[in-house]
Amino acid sequence: MVDGALMSRDILVDDFLTIFISSTLVLIFGGFYVGIYTAVKVKLLKNWMMPLGYFFWILTAYCLYLMGSLMHVNELTAKALVVAAIGLLLLPHAVYYMQDHVHQENEH
Amino acid sequence: MAKKSVWSDNRFWQRTAGWVTGFASVLLIWLTFDTSAQISMGTDTDLQNGVTKRVPGPTVINYKIAYEFNKKRQHEIPVIGGMNSEGTSAFQEKEKFFGRDDWSEEEAESLLHLGKLASQTKNCMNCHTLLGNGGYYAPDLTKAWLDPAWGPEGSMQAMTSKETKEEAMAEFLQNPSQYPTHARMMPNLGITAEEAKGLVAFLKHLSSIDTNGFPRNFGKIQGAVNGK
Amino acid sequence: MANSYSKSESKKLATWYFTVAAILFGAQLLFGLIAATQYVMPGFLFEILDFSVARMVHINALVVWMVFAMFGSVYWLLPDETGIETVGIGLGKLLFWVFTAAVTVVVLVYLFVQVGPADETSLWFIHEGREYIEAPRWADIGITIVALGFVANLYMTGIKGNRSGIVTVLMADMIAFAGLYLTGMFYTDNISVDQYWWWWVIHLWVEATWEVFVGALAAYGLITMIGAHRKVVEMWLWIEVSMLFGSGILGMGHHYFWIGTPEYWWEIGALFSALEPLPLVAMFIHVLYDWGKMQGEEDAKGLPHTVVNNKPAFTWFIMNALGNFLGAGVWGFFHTMPQVNLYTHGTQFTSAHGHLAFFGAYATILIGMMYLAVQGKNNIKILNHTKSSIWAVSMVVGGVVGMTVALTLAGYSDVIISRAQMGATWAGYFDAQSTTWLVQGLVWRLIMGVITFVGFIFLIKDLLSIGKATHHVR
Repeated sequence: MVDGALMSRDILVDDFLTIFISSTLVLIFGGFYVGIYTAVKVKLLKNWMMPLGYFFWILTAYCLYLMGSLMHVNELTAKALVVAAIGLLLLPHAVYYMQDHVHQENEH
Repeated sequence: MAKKSVWSDNRFWQRTAGWVTGFASVLLIWLTFDTSAQISMGTDTDLQNGVTKRVPGPTVINYKIAYEFNKKRQHEIPVIGGMNSEGTSAFQEKEKFFGRDDWSEEEAESLLHLGKLASQTKNCMNCHTLLGNGGYYAPDLTKAWLDPAWGPEGSMQAMTSKETKEEAMAEFLQNPSQYPTHARMMPNLGITAEEAKGLVAFLKHLSSIDTNGFPRNFGKIQGAVNGK
Repeated sequence: MANSYSKSESKKLATWYFTVAAILFGAQLLFGLIAATQYVMPGFLFEILDFSVARMVHINALVVWMVFAMFGSVYWLLPDETGIETVGIGLGKLLFWVFTAAVTVVVLVYLFVQVGPADETSLWFIHEGREYIEAPRWADIGITIVALGFVANLYMTGIKGNRSGIVTVLMADMIAFAGLYLTGMFYTDNISVDQYWWWWVIHLWVEATWEVFVGALAAYGLITMIGAHRKVVEMWLWIEVSMLFGSGILGMGHHYFWIGTPEYWWEIGALFSALEPLPLVAMFIHVLYDWGKMQGEEDAKGLPHTVVNNKPAFTWFIMNALGNFLGAGVWGFFHTMPQVNLYTHGTQFTSAHGHLAFFGAYATILIGMMYLAVQGKNNIKILNHTKSSIWAVSMVVGGVVGMTVALTLAGYSDVIISRAQMGATWAGYFDAQSTTWLVQGLVWRLIMGVITFVGFIFLIKDLLSIGKATHHVR
């Protein structure tokens, strides 16, 4: 499990700002994605907004990639980041699916 | 009524919560056993036999301590008593601490005990950070012992008119507001001479702990211990 | 109704707890202002009430007011959830007085004794000097007894009454909450071992048991305020517990990067820290989903008013979902990866994160609970906003967000100068402290702190007077 290469290189001074901004945007864009998805599903927003939601997920994934590469993450961490991105993609689907199920069982 | 699905079954999620929590807790407890063994404090015998411990024994105060880049681990590690051919501690080179390099295990233990107690009772952690944790009102103390400011070329020995690093530190700790380095000063905390000695021993011991390369590039600036 | 305020001793006790919580919240802000002033004017109260003392009171008052408000919240919701009066209410009242008296003594000793000689007596009677859990050992024992008494009341009531899902979660959560405190009570010369266990209290409280507690309060709030379906909410609560404990317990790894612990914590910390924001995002969707659903149903019936029966409380609950996501999620995530944390650990970034996370995740929802208590106490069907309640929420939230942004800018300078370029030395530290960004950042933090405090005054005024306003539906 010990991986000596985790800190293989210093982060460049000029890269810090990009890293902080991209890792902040990961969750901001991620929040937009799940927010838009849920809002469309509960009909607070119109259906045509949905592609915009997925577009935000793509931005999230890009920011994760940018953040990870500037930090020089090792392979295992990179895999963890990919899992997190896919987890975020599935999360609102799973939540909506389950919520909807329970609502139907309880209301009808 | 719609068909019952496992995904909308309360019992299913309650059990899931139980299992997930249980599994995570068991894993944490198992890791705690492993970590506890690895961070238990070493002994004088370890130091004499050249056994590297993540937290060395209190008699480490008899040795010269440095913080050097290690190729294999790709970050700085504490190097105790000079460096061997593998770039790790050789446990050979001694260094006088308050005029002696033969502090016995009991003496060093009681000095470290006093220093650690003082670090808590004087509330160091609410201004300084220790191992990076604490307040951010004053410098991090993790590697303070190795700070170039206290070294022969630093300003603090001259300022306190002391010959050695440990005496300069002890003098500063007893009368901090007499030696201001910044508008933000350390207050007088009623630290006695004996407590100051303990605190310096505590700081020297602290600098010998293997912190996985934190802080990075410590002392990189000119006149640094690890000048690059 | 058996659980109305006038009939329930448990609800009366809850209001006592909320009152002391609000006073301690004020003390927290006041001592925060003193510490913030000292950053800008280092001579302020020097060697009279030093930064270390001001900050100790600031962070201890924070922890203690939240614990008071958490106890209060449980005593408030227990009669509603179990359908019976809380068992052992006499014991509850006694413990309330014991707790309040102990906190008063501890604070007076902090302020007037401040430091002691380096011996065990100081640890027993003055303070333990361990950030967040400085309370002296006699108080540690007292707190444990008070917490166990509280847990006993919760268990007796839960077992005797109707044990809802929310009560079950609280029962499991509160026993862990009380038990974890014990791991932070012992002394050791080995600072790595010391900090290892210290995090068991700090991390497993704020990133696991307290978060689950908030999940339970949010569930109760959604049922009470917008009439969300209990089954949906409770199922969701179990999912949250799975996600929070699943990511939070091993998320502990991110505190074990640099304290002497082995390298494998890098991987564990990185993996679970990446997962930790997911439950926070999920909690946010959940509130949005339920609100959307309930409002949609209400709209479909053509009813004119909103589905929310306590607007100030609901506003604070929304601030909680948002604040938890921003403070714990966003501000946590951007410096949690070990590769970056190597440079950001122990800088003003941590302070920025700490301010928004504690406020967003806990202060907001506990203030929301206080509004629910005001509504219940005054027997109001629909509690509307007042001018003060809007000023309070805008200024407190705006002030804390402002402090966080200011500290983040200061932190950026701190990281770049003192860590990335100067290698964390004494000289590097003070070089960073003198940069314009850091100096200005701390001035703005003080200004925003003052705004927060003014907002707090509006909040207190509102909590005391909103019940008497006439525009509510009674």
